[in-house]
Amino acid sequence: MDLRRIIIPGRRSLRSNRPAQIVLLFAFWLLGEALARWTGLPIPGGIIGMSVVLALLASGWLGQGSLRRGANWFIAELLLFFIPAVLAILDHPEFLGILGLKIVAVILGGTVVVMGVTAVVVDLCCRAMGRLEADGHVIE
Amino acid sequence: MSLSDPLLQVAFWSAATIASYLVAKHLHRRLMRWWSSPLVLAPAALIGLALALHESYRDYIRETHWLVALLGPATVAFAVPIWEQRGLIRRHWPALAAGVVVGSMTAMASAWGLAELLGLSGSLRLSLLPRSISTPFAMTVSGQIGGVPDLTAVFVALTGVFGAGFGETILRVLPLHSALARGALFGMGAHGAGVARAHGIGREEGSVAGLVMALVGLVNVLAAPLLAQML
Repeated sequence: MDLRRIIIPGRRSLRSNRPAQIVLLFAFWLLGEALARWTGLPIPGGIIGMSVVLALLASGWLGQGSLRRGANWFIAELLLFFIPAVLAILDHPEFLGILGLKIVAVILGGTVVVMGVTAVVVDLCCRAMGRLEADGHVIE
Repeated sequence: MSLSDPLLQVAFWSAATIASYLVAKHLHRRLMRWWSSPLVLAPAALIGLALALHESYRDYIRETHWLVALLGPATVAFAVPIWEQRGLIRRHWPALAAGVVVGSMTAMASAWGLAELLGLSGSLRLSLLPRSISTPFAMTVSGQIGGVPDLTAVFVALTGVFGAGFGETILRVLPLHSALARGALFGMGAHGAGVARAHGIGREEGSVAGLVMALVGLVNVLAAPLLAQML
């Protein structure tokens, strides 16, 4: 009972507190990293942290409102976190020539194929499921 | 404090990185051109600055690595869109699963095949394989299958820029009937940059794209140890 009384007001203030949510997500990541090291699983800590959060959300221990603002911030600013890694190009002056053009061709061609194939597969699945559902309704 | 003070260097290059990102983000909102993406403008500005100040990549990444480390908690953050879209998953899981699995396999196979065709091999080719996955996941997969995570980050960035740019052209060519397919196209093909573009097309397209991006990352990271054995 007493614990509930502490947790519920805490939850309410957490709902509108983005910095606290960012810290909370950071803590779940550290927990995931620790679990990964402790269990020796070949799964990155971030994924374990994500699974822990999903389990807590599903069990109702954690409301999505307690994390939404922080999560939206991390996802919205995702580009910033990997801009430093893009500067790896500095170590590869050879990419400025033919090799760079080849890489661009692989990425461009591959991306067009991936987008086309994925969209067509999903669309066909949707149509097939729609037909199944329609048939189901007729039987009912 | 002298200019070569390590702490000052960390502060300077971190500030330069964040500032160039914020400026590029602001410009992109106004211009909306492929070249104005923060993925193009910010690295271009930083490369110019690094060349002018004779900063090596090794020093630069040591000083800004804390920003890259934030990709870890960002991975955890993906739990929220997955949870929020659980209704969508329950209703459309067969189509989503097919899109994520077939899309991921197509991404790896097309990169492998095209690299083979153009004579790219070794760690460069392996670094190209995870390019359709969102960065935090892509760099993990790259490391596990023998690629160079930093190179993969470069390729992921290029994929996002091209995919967001060409996605709408592909939409015009393909006769797609469902918002699910339009969203999956962007989430699978162009991760973060694609999700932003999909939100511009429609609400449902945007949520599907975000969900597909998160699922693609999750599935690929879990499949990576298996893939590493096959390669």
